[in-house]
Order: sequence, then C-alpha cells, then structure tokens
Amino acid sequence: MKSVLKTVGIQTKKDTEMINITELVKKTAESSGITSGVVYITTMHTTTAITVNEGLPDLEDDITEMLFRLVPAGLNYRHARFLHSDGQMAVNAPSHLRGALLGMQTVFPMHEGKMVTGGRQTIYFVELDGPLYRELMIHVIGE
Amino acid sequence: MIDIHTHPVQVADLYDGDPNLTRAVRDVFGFYVKPQPLDTFLYQLDEAGIDQAVLLPIDCTTTHGCKIVSNEQIVELVEKSDRFIGFASVDPLQPNAPKDLEKAIKSYGLRGLKLDPSLQGFSLHHDEYVYPIFQVCEELDIPVLLHCGMSWSPIGRAELAQPIHLERIIHRFPNVRMIIAQFGWPWVAESLMLALKHQNVYLDTSILFSGTPPESFRHVVEKVIGLETFDRSLHQQVVFGSSYPRVDPKRVVGAIKEMGFRESLEKKIFHDNAARLLKLEGQSL
Repeated sequence: MKSVLKTVGIQTKKDTEMINITELVKKTAESSGITSGVVYITTMHTTTAITVNEGLPDLEDDITEMLFRLVPAGLNYRHARFLHSDGQMAVNAPSHLRGALLGMQTVFPMHEGKMVTGGRQTIYFVELDGPLYRELMIHVIGE
Repeated sequence: MIDIHTHPVQVADLYDGDPNLTRAVRDVFGFYVKPQPLDTFLYQLDEAGIDQAVLLPIDCTTTHGCKIVSNEQIVELVEKSDRFIGFASVDPLQPNAPKDLEKAIKSYGLRGLKLDPSLQGFSLHHDEYVYPIFQVCEELDIPVLLHCGMSWSPIGRAELAQPIHLERIIHRFPNVRMIIAQFGWPWVAESLMLALKHQNVYLDTSILFSGTPPESFRHVVEKVIGLETFDRSLHQQVVFGSSYPRVDPKRVVGAIKEMGFRESLEKKIFHDNAARLLKLEGQSL
C-alpha cells in the first residue's frame, strides 16, 4: 500500500467564504500515482471546514446563513480573552463553533485512476475567520 | 477608513531577510502566531473596510538589543503598497535618537513617531533624552503615537507608560500631536483628563483588555468615560486603531459600529480625526 500526502495553500479573501476545491482535489489525487484506494481531504485549521454539497451559489448562501443563524456572533462565549500562547486576543468562538458544525474532513474513493464523486457533489474549503493564508491536506492511500 | 495602530509583525515577507526579527517578535513583543503573506494583511484590511493603515515599528536597541521591525523595513512595506503610512521609531536611550528620527522623516519619508516606554524601557520624566526627540517632532510637524497603559508583551513595564507622565511633555510641546494608544487602559481617567484639557492629545480605540472588542470598548466608553462626555468632548480626538495583530482589525471596526454612534461621530473616529492629525486632508484614499 502506498501513501501520498500533499499540502495545498489557499489565500482566503473574506471573513466567511466557501471555496470550491473539487478540481484541485481531483487533479492532485489523480496525479498521485495511486489508482485504487481512498482520498482524504482535511483542513489543517480549527476555524475552517471541509464540506460537500451541490455547487450552487444559492446553496452556498443558505449554508453560510445557516451557520450564522445557529452560531450568532454576539453571545456570551467563554473563548473571549487574551490567549497567552498566541500573544493575541482569542475572540473568535463563533468561527470555531461554526467549524465544529461542518467538520474538518471528507473522503472519496479512488477507482481505476479517478477520484469518484456524485455528479452534484462539490467539495468546499470553508473559511470561517478570514482572510488568512490556509492549508489543507490531500492524502491518497491505496495501490 | 484609517487604522492608526498596526504592528506589521506577522508579515512573512519581513522575516526572510532578517533572522533577528523572529526573536524580537517572540521574546520581546510576545507574539507567537505563524507569519502570513503581506497579501493576507491587505485582504484583512479590505475585509475590515480599512483604506489606509499606519505601520508602527519599535526600536528597543538599548533595553532588549533588537528592533521590532526597523524603520528600513517599514519603508520596504510602504514601497509595496500606497495604503501604508509608515511611522518611525527611535530609541530615546541612544544618543543619536534625534538625528535618527530626522533622517527617518526627511530621508525615508516616514510620517510620524512611535514610542513605547514600556518596551523601550525609558522614563518619560528624563527630560535630557525625551525633550530633544519631541523637539524634532515639533520642528518637523509630525505626530507621535505613544503606547500607554498595559503592554501585552510579557516583559513590557506598564509603570513606564502611565499617561499622566506625559503631562509635562504636553505642556512643553503644546503643538505636537500626541496619540495615547488604547485610551491608556487601565489609566483611562488620566488619558481622558489629558485629552479633555489638551486639544493636541488624541486617543486610539485599540482597547483590548479582556472579553471581545465590543465588550472592552463599550465598557470604557459607557462606564468609565460616559457616552455624553465621549460624544461632546472627545469627538474630534478619538481615532480608530486596531493594534493589529493583537486582534483582527475587522473585530475592532465591528466594536465601534456596534456602539450605534451618530453617523458624523463614527466618520470622525474612522477617518476625519486621523486624516487631520496625519495631515492627509485633501488627499484621496
């Protein structure tokens, strides 16, 4: 069994943003040399997420609005203080909680050299506390 | 919108050519988050709605043997984006400080002076080295942003940065525009007294003592100063400052917008007061 791990950087440009990474992931996975196995797509941060949905702007807006509705900005969160290990204010509890709702990872099969997805499935890297330079891992495991 | 208080210590571009900067930022400034590309900083300004940002260095040569971003590095960043306004920093404990300041303004084109007594380790009561620096500020007609109050640096000494220590300097240099950072928290009453009495004293909004920026800002404005006093007496002397990267500028902008100030007051805080003290009036942003 082989394991190929690629780290990809993304410069996000908004506070909250759904970035379609489907083609980036497919291209990276299919150039790994592995033809049969699985592809893990994982964010390296705790205020971003990876999610899969139909690639439509109205759904992107609905998902974003759902996150803001479920996790409003102005509540009395505990994570609202100076974080000594960072040397900066940790006042982004809503970003962490929205990320927790969506999750950090998704996985797809590799079959006969292609990453297999449903016709409407779009893979999103979701920025929840941008703009920041971010990284995600594309990990292909198989033969 | 103008952010008068940013420290470009998270800009990755600066670290490549300066191996000492990592130590200065971590061990002296007390900031431990991974650097980001310069573009990230510009996008963060965009997201916050900020058109221009003042970049602040801190020269700690005598006390800590380092510069938390040098004047030359500030120039390097200013040359990369016309959205940046560069301030200089000189170490008051160095004999060449007045001449270094003159050079930074006249030769490098920097637009103001940043002093941080708590990190630079000097006393504002030592006229022999403090007065010559303010003399240059007066002659060159440049503003001075002074870190006052608590320092988030683990080795910063707040006792050196108590706002009341500025009173003699304000009396001696009534024409020098001085910005007291973070309302001098926790000595807000001292900063308020100085600003009420002296029209050349400005206060910046980077109040970050605990909780969220909206909570910190609201507490100081409503509970310590009072909304009426803030609106009536400080409307021309409060300037927007975020203290990036201690906090993301978008959150400090949000804190001020949440106050629900009248539109004219908000405009003065976000732009007009800073434009006047930086002498940017008439320049397009």
